[in-house]
Amino acid sequence: MKALTANRLTDGEVVFWRQGQWVERFAEADLFAGDDPAGEAAEGRAKTQVLVVVEPYLIDLVESEGLWAPLSYRERIRALGPTNLNHGKQTEGGAAIAALKHAHGASRSTGRVDLIRRK
Amino acid sequence: MYRYDTIDREMLADRSAEFREQVERRLAGDLAEDQFKPLRLMNGLYLQLHAYMLRVAIPYGALNPTQLRKLAWIGRTYDKGYGHFTTRQNLQFHWIKLADTPDILDHLASVDMHAIQTSGNCIRNITADPYAGATAEEIDDPRVWAEAMRQWSTLHPEFSFLPRKFKIAITAAPKDRTAAKVHDIGLVVRRARDGQLGFEVMVGGGMGRTPYIGSTIREFLPANRLFSYLEAILRVYNRHGRRDNSYKARIKILVAALGAEEFARQVEAEWEKVGASVDLPDTELARIRGAFAPMSFETLPAVSEAHEAAKASDPAYARFVRNNVKPHKKAGYGIVEISLKTVGETPGDATAEQMEAVADLAERYGQDDIRVTHEQNLVLPHVRLDDLPSVHAALRAAGLASANINLASDIIACPGLDYCALANARSISVAQHIAQKFADPDRAERVGELKIKISGCINACGHHHVGHIGILGVDKKGEEFYQLTLGGSGAEDAAVGQALGPALPYDRVADAVDTLVETYLRERHDGERFLDTFRRTGVAPFKEAVYADVH
Repeated sequence: MKALTANRLTDGEVVFWRQGQWVERFAEADLFAGDDPAGEAAEGRAKTQVLVVVEPYLIDLVESEGLWAPLSYRERIRALGPTNLNHGKQTEGGAAIAALKHAHGASRSTGRVDLIRRK
Repeated sequence: MYRYDTIDREMLADRSAEFREQVERRLAGDLAEDQFKPLRLMNGLYLQLHAYMLRVAIPYGALNPTQLRKLAWIGRTYDKGYGHFTTRQNLQFHWIKLADTPDILDHLASVDMHAIQTSGNCIRNITADPYAGATAEEIDDPRVWAEAMRQWSTLHPEFSFLPRKFKIAITAAPKDRTAAKVHDIGLVVRRARDGQLGFEVMVGGGMGRTPYIGSTIREFLPANRLFSYLEAILRVYNRHGRRDNSYKARIKILVAALGAEEFARQVEAEWEKVGASVDLPDTELARIRGAFAPMSFETLPAVSEAHEAAKASDPAYARFVRNNVKPHKKAGYGIVEISLKTVGETPGDATAEQMEAVADLAERYGQDDIRVTHEQNLVLPHVRLDDLPSVHAALRAAGLASANINLASDIIACPGLDYCALANARSISVAQHIAQKFADPDRAERVGELKIKISGCINACGHHHVGHIGILGVDKKGEEFYQLTLGGSGAEDAAVGQALGPALPYDRVADAVDTLVETYLRERHDGERFLDTFRRTGVAPFKEAVYADVH
């Protein structure tokens, strides 16, 4: 599965695609099957929203405690907040946050790969 | 300290207004992100993992209480109540909103501060000895030269689009607290036998993916020729630096490719052409020097009864004095280092309340002077020994009395993967786990000086190459691994660390550091620091201990 993420232009907040809009909670993000062209179509649409977000990209997901979580550690930190202080999105708590915290798995983040490619 | 004049203030006001307009144009869609990004970076504004990050320049790491209080206020108003001091003596706010940034820049400008040249391919904030003006070791006050270089390099049109970023450090003491040898240019103030003031000029040091120790290209440059010589170096670099490849664009690559001798020859030839017309007039130097006139120190006895009594009665105070208080040039005074490395906390972070506490102490006991060190700590450079017990008590109340300067828990760590878009792996939590191993202050003191430095990626913001123990976070198929290096130093005995062996997973790093320290304690001879023992024994006993433990 995949989700679409970006940073919001006005404040840099990590946001996720949901039916053409952007939401702050990963748990509310639209999920796309890996081979579903809707994911890439959404990414294409997101890239035109240049007054709303910066650098949208698709991320791979992994199952965790019956829910979905980003596969890459970097993306889990983006979805949760930094691990050194409890002052990011993780403060909300609940099952969705717990699933993110307990998720395992590893992959290179598409966001970081894009960043390096652009440099 | 140096005070801005009308020209400085007008320049900041103009710059802030210009950025306000640029932000408005971006938000209105008149500027695309690709057009806007270099403009925001020129004002120190990065987009990181969770928010925008604003890097505020603290020229040569010097602050007054009004400025530190303003940083605290900005942290409380626009961030999450804290700031992060960096290895370039700057401060970063990690939770900034783009739309707030023009207001923040206005607030900074109101106390003569800004974020100009904290990013981009220009001359960055100049690093200077945080003990400047306070240590008896120094030949001259390096802040005078750092301020002159700040003025010269700020918005210098010829050096605003260099092949890559450019960092200068200056020290005037034999003990190097600036990492001068791993800067693009390192300047060491020297005095000739005839009393003439000058500089040893080192070029081509650096860290990142290709670390180098700088080469001395001039043993003695007369002080009054500094700016023409700097200009000549920058021109040779600007002309021949590798603009085609950002990984090879730093001056260190050029110096290594040409050889230091040939680079020096080209600089000397260029220097001839530059001539003396760009050198600083004596009158201007005198004006700047006047801003750093010696403080009005009292004539005090070398021994303070209050200080001695506190040392005798309070072991925590005595420990603080042993580790955090350094000799001052004036009898009856001390240089107080304030550790931002309390075990369990984030290295380099200070809350708004802590910043205000330090500002209060500087005002009441410290002649309005605060410094930031490149090791992410703060300094009150001029404190009467009579006042030290009160200062210590106030620091303790603010959670700032950790007596661990230069000890194992005084760890440099970049923000790493918790905040930074470039990072491969976390730095902060690795530092916290290691610090926990040395939470027993008796053990930490028994180990003695040990500089552990952690970077979350090869860009080396955490100076891992020059750590006695260096730790570099790497990405192995998406997992956090850490390469350890030993024997590095960023001080006057500068060296690049040597790889220990295969990278270790996240949860093995703190134990490995503990093993390295135990190996040192077993191998050390009397009086040896970790670094000395490593240099004597080589890597073998350390490698054997760590990898025997791992496998």
